[in-house]
Amino acid sequence: MANMINYGIDLGTTNSLIAKFNKGVVEVLRNPNGFKDTLPSVVAFRNDRILLGDQARTYAERDPLSVGSRFKRKMGTTESLPIKSLGQLKTPTELSALVLQELKTFVQTGEVLESVVITIPACFDMPQRIATEEAAHKAGFKQVVLLNEPIAASLAYANKEKNIDLNNSQWIVYDLGGGTFDVALVRIVEGELKVVDHEGDNFLGGSDFDALIVEKLITPQLEKRGKFTDLLAEMKSANGKYNRLWHTLLHLAEDAKIELSNRSSAEIDLGLRNVEDENGKAITDAIQITRSEFEGLIKDSVDRTAEMLRTILTRNSLRPQDLKFVLMVGGQTYTPFVRERIKELLGIPVNFGSIDPTNAIAVGAAYFAATKEVGASEKTVAKSNTATALKIRVACKAASQEKDELFAAKVEGDTAGMFYRIKREDGGFDTGLKKLEARISEDLPLQADSYNIFSFSVFDAKNNLVPTGVDSIQIAQGKYGVAGQMLPHDICLVTDDLSTGDTKLRTLYARNTLTGLKKTSVEASRTILKGSDDVIRIMVVEGAANAHASANTPIGILEITGKQLTRDVHKGTSIDLTFDMSESQILKVGAHLDATGQDFADVFTPNYRNVSIKTLQAEIQALDKRIESEIDDAEANKNAEVVGELIALRSVVEELQGQSMLLVIDDTTDARYQLDGQKRKVAQQVHALTAGKHMDRLKSEYQELKREVIQVVSEHGNDKERHQLNEVFALEHTFTTSSNPQKITEYISRLRRISFQVLRRTPEFLTGWFEHLQTKRSTFNDPVQAKSLIEAGKRHIAEQDYDHLAEVNMRLNDLLPHSEQTDPKTLPFITGIN
Amino acid sequence: MKLTHDIPKSLLNVLNQLYELEQKIKRHGDSANLERNITRMKSAFEELSSESGLFYEDPMGQPFKETRTDVDATISGTSTENLFVVEVIKPIIRVGNRKYNQVVQKGIVVVESK
Repeated sequence: MANMINYGIDLGTTNSLIAKFNKGVVEVLRNPNGFKDTLPSVVAFRNDRILLGDQARTYAERDPLSVGSRFKRKMGTTESLPIKSLGQLKTPTELSALVLQELKTFVQTGEVLESVVITIPACFDMPQRIATEEAAHKAGFKQVVLLNEPIAASLAYANKEKNIDLNNSQWIVYDLGGGTFDVALVRIVEGELKVVDHEGDNFLGGSDFDALIVEKLITPQLEKRGKFTDLLAEMKSANGKYNRLWHTLLHLAEDAKIELSNRSSAEIDLGLRNVEDENGKAITDAIQITRSEFEGLIKDSVDRTAEMLRTILTRNSLRPQDLKFVLMVGGQTYTPFVRERIKELLGIPVNFGSIDPTNAIAVGAAYFAATKEVGASEKTVAKSNTATALKIRVACKAASQEKDELFAAKVEGDTAGMFYRIKREDGGFDTGLKKLEARISEDLPLQADSYNIFSFSVFDAKNNLVPTGVDSIQIAQGKYGVAGQMLPHDICLVTDDLSTGDTKLRTLYARNTLTGLKKTSVEASRTILKGSDDVIRIMVVEGAANAHASANTPIGILEITGKQLTRDVHKGTSIDLTFDMSESQILKVGAHLDATGQDFADVFTPNYRNVSIKTLQAEIQALDKRIESEIDDAEANKNAEVVGELIALRSVVEELQGQSMLLVIDDTTDARYQLDGQKRKVAQQVHALTAGKHMDRLKSEYQELKREVIQVVSEHGNDKERHQLNEVFALEHTFTTSSNPQKITEYISRLRRISFQVLRRTPEFLTGWFEHLQTKRSTFNDPVQAKSLIEAGKRHIAEQDYDHLAEVNMRLNDLLPHSEQTDPKTLPFITGIN
Repeated sequence: MKLTHDIPKSLLNVLNQLYELEQKIKRHGDSANLERNITRMKSAFEELSSESGLFYEDPMGQPFKETRTDVDATISGTSTENLFVVEVIKPIIRVGNRKYNQVVQKGIVVVESK
């Protein structure tokens, strides 16, 4: 169909696929070079040639430094792959772009592909999503729609199993692929598919199983057969003596793993591999691996996936029997143990076999692409026989549960003497020629459970066809639509917390809600002078809204510097922010400064994650220390349950610490990302365990402050301040009963502000502050002005003119360098907004 | 003539077995004179239809470089230059006739530098 995207791509860690929707049927396109559907996601650079797929895989063993593979897991990170033959680095985005370009060649119809749906794991964070979109643009796609893999899989299943009524039911999509694991709770309500909740691990998949086979089964066997010193480290390090062997063994392990799906044992034949120990002794044996050894190896990982599945059920108050089934996709679900273990642990049917687990995602992506229009719906095309142009804007649902669907169009231009005609392609419906007017609408009857394709034609008075750019309308009847893409994490704005001198988070989009346009207002937390180097930072992070900004993934920063300003922006000036998140979850941010009338905008550029091994080690150590002190605290409070759970977490962290210490600085595996992910999870659990304690602390702080402020306001306050105080008390029940520490912190800072507002008028405070400012005499930016202000201040004290003394204090304070300013309202400057 | 890739996998499996039989006879001798039967079976595959048939090609000893896409190669030895096929695990299978054909199964081979 000319107007629908129709093409879907599964850009996988180990293999990628492309599928095309055509008149109700999805075809997975053949790899013209491989006689199979998949393209190994491997790129090789040899003799000024770029090789893709199987050809590249050939050289992965012998020339690993010229070959990039398994790079999807590094998308959105700063890590690049060194390519020896080029003498340069290639980013995971560049390598993915090459894979996408190669997939384009699977299309043999001569079509030029500019629009595409690309699937990504639901747990991909913002930098990873942006990196994927960037790869697609590099590959020449102009329009990219990202789709979560669990939704794609569900669409493939829903379209295949037409006789099963999925309406008002829910199920789990269990997707264990080459490099990522996703588990999602999917629900169909009124014909719309929704991902209700999901969990996942970006660093758990089949290639980890391959690595486990090499590490735990093959390496010990090699060490028995020959003399090796620190073989594992030598294999994993980019400069290690046995780095090449690592790549080789990974491929052999993958083959053995596939064989173990059907057989009870498999062999790793080293006969052709030229493995020599340190004394030059060749090892040519065949190493046997049994299915039970392999199952023992992956049991913990599979149980971890089951644990994530259970987390979803608990979070949504569901029992396993509330699910219709578990839909298994991803190549790794071919392993019988994975299916059996999940079935055994949950006691619910595991659906496997009705769809092909290796291509289900690409197939689903193509079904989704069939409901997505190419580009904008507005097209302007010159009329064939006149100089005027017709502009037609159409509106029609792409998927429907109804027997007919309304088609509406708005036509701009000269329509005099023109007609239109709509026909259904199966020959069952024809509007006949109808007069073309500025607004047209038609009820289009739909064939049940099929893709209805209508042609839309415009004719002039002589019945000549007039091209309009809108030549077809496609409506899927009875098919399940996609309700929208739920967000995997909270998306928050970082603002300054004036009461603590730290930052706090303001939720822009909550987890599991839909994207769209959001507007919010903030205030400048300090004055930014025109022409200065001061900066307002609009920082957006992704992660839990109740955690600290540093525990979350930064998405991007829009910086506005003093140099860009046309006027000074004073403290307290409001700044209007607009956030627009697309369906692909790419965030556009806009800021309007009231003070200057200026607008600033940016699409957040990828803020690639860089996990340095040293930082990782330091962070794990810091987490360990924090748990230690939390244990002491919990012991002091005799909270045995929390102590027990913290001790369990400490042992996890100690294990992580051990693993991180074993990493060599130039480690080429994914270990650092896996450890980083596990560290974040532990940190979140610690946060959840201790949040109650912090809340108790904040509540008592609030009560204490409340007593002080009541006294201050009753002694020195005015009506306005008494009113402000009563406003806080009226809302007291909302924040003291909330589990969100930021809410109560916000009200604590409001109380502090009221208190300060009152105190700053008292003669004692103003005189004391003036004396304090005089001690800073040597640091004032303008000593002459400061001197005259001090003289004025002394005079005001003598005259007991405290209003004017307050002004002098403020002006003197403004003359201090930022670091010296003592106004409690001027706290460490982090974002410049609050 | 329209050449199609959709050859049933079972047919390709039979051809692979035929190739292995042929190789075993070459290596261990043909005391029961099986070669004649194998030749007939190969002819039958080549004449599946009047226009198009299936036949295999043994790439043993042929040169290999990165531009070659009718085989999936594993490189043995350390060098990646001047490579030749030294072991064939599966042959290349083609559809069509000897003059005009298309690959339907890539050969699975081991290559080595000479």
